[in-house]
Amino acid sequence: MKKLVSVLMAAAMILCMAACGNDEKVIGEEAQSGAQSGEAQSGQSGSQGSYNGYAFTAGGTTVQVDADFAPVLEKLGEPLSYFEAASCAFEGLDKTYTYSGFQIITYPDGEKDCVSTIVLKDDSVSTAEGVSIGESKERLQEVYGSGSEEGNMIVYAKGDMKLCFIMQNDEIASIEYRSKVLEV
Amino acid sequence: MKREHKHRPVLKFILSAIVALGGLFLLQRLLVPKYVDGIVEGAFVAEYYKEEKDFDVIFIGDCEVYENFSPIVLWEQYGINSYIRGSAEQYIWQSYYLLEDTLRYETPEVVIFNIQSLQFDVSQNEAYNRMTLEGMEWSPAKVKAILASMKPGEKFLDYVFPILRYHSRWSELESTDLRYLFDTKKVSHNGYYMRVDVRPAENVPEGRILADYSFGENAWKYLDMMTELCEEKGIELILIKAPSLYPYWYEEWEVQVEDYAAEHNLKYINFLELTEEVGIDYSLDTYDAGLHMNLSGAEKLASWLGNFLKEEIGLLDRRGEEALAASWKEKIADYEAEKQAQYEKYGMTGEK
Repeated sequence: MKKLVSVLMAAAMILCMAACGNDEKVIGEEAQSGAQSGEAQSGQSGSQGSYNGYAFTAGGTTVQVDADFAPVLEKLGEPLSYFEAASCAFEGLDKTYTYSGFQIITYPDGEKDCVSTIVLKDDSVSTAEGVSIGESKERLQEVYGSGSEEGNMIVYAKGDMKLCFIMQNDEIASIEYRSKVLEV
Repeated sequence: MKREHKHRPVLKFILSAIVALGGLFLLQRLLVPKYVDGIVEGAFVAEYYKEEKDFDVIFIGDCEVYENFSPIVLWEQYGINSYIRGSAEQYIWQSYYLLEDTLRYETPEVVIFNIQSLQFDVSQNEAYNRMTLEGMEWSPAKVKAILASMKPGEKFLDYVFPILRYHSRWSELESTDLRYLFDTKKVSHNGYYMRVDVRPAENVPEGRILADYSFGENAWKYLDMMTELCEEKGIELILIKAPSLYPYWYEEWEVQVEDYAAEHNLKYINFLELTEEVGIDYSLDTYDAGLHMNLSGAEKLASWLGNFLKEEIGLLDRRGEEALAASWKEKIADYEAEKQAQYEKYGMTGEK
């Protein structure tokens, strides 16, 4: 009897170990403990120092996707407006900080708020490489290369982020720096 | 004596198997999330099965149904027996299979579907998948719902044996995991999630420019399936957009839904366009700055909707049915008790 029980328990353990091979975090844990998603929780892909994605610069302040937003907020100062939204059934808030010409959206990562998206809203600001809203597809490709086209969007993936240019009538209508962390 | 001896190995085998499987079952029960405190939304789908299934109206959809309409008001003011089969970020394929699942038990006169989820063409998050799918009872509808929902990397077997997915929860077990090992407590009011607190809507951001405003093929496919299923069963399908201010509802999306409703002869109610008529005050009727209604908002919406269901659809007042009325009496008592408890919790003791 002991042998059989041992065999069944061993089989169960093997099954559990097999499940461990799935490197996503167990969902029930994060849901109950309040993180937005396992990927977000473990996502520290853009931590300062090892960042290799495109960064946005505003008034001498550099903003990196997935980085802790607190020091950036301190430098950028009070936004023109602020909005926070709780995701359905998760604790923690997605926060939107609106500044002149751009918007920064954060996601909760434990005690920190990390940058999920930077949205350029008008041509008063530009990317660090000098591209802004209203410019042509040719100018965009001259600066960044061909990129990958997803419908009306031209995407440049770098590191764990994507720089997205939404086109309307062959002109850049919107520019977004997006984290890949929340996409998984 | 010899015969007894001969049967002993078989008995041992059966007993051992029972002990081992029982142990695994207990372990699984212990490790799966219970959703009884804090994040209770994962418990909504399962609660339906405990009900006497004789509903006039079934709501299906995401948080825009389970936080925005009070079935208690529908009963109290109009005698409409309704239930919300809602769950967090419920994708349209899940709504469809929850409808199929519901039809195994009953055929309501009206199904109300909130169209916010049309924006998703594939599942976005495993956590949301699990909060909807794990509560479903096993049936072909559940199997199809899982297969339609799984993201790359998810495994069907993990839904059959949740212990495979939750095995590492052992380090985060709480007293509620033991207390609710076999049973659970009721966390909704016919699927409605109550919040009485107030947080006015301010600085709600405009929608970001999208690369493509068209709803995806998969989303349309399931809306078509829902429309066909309701037609086949003689159910009035009503499409709604709840008056949530965020996430942003684009005019381009609105046009597509209006066209679809007209083409399929469906009623479509966009509550964003009816806020004045319903009496929604975003400084009082939301608890999270315009994303969802609080109790006051959910009661106003239900009051308007009840009148619509009575006048436009012709639903009858069932308050005269003794057994049903008795069941609602208990539900109303629970509702009032939670209302008072929340008023105290949020320091709103002056409220009625």
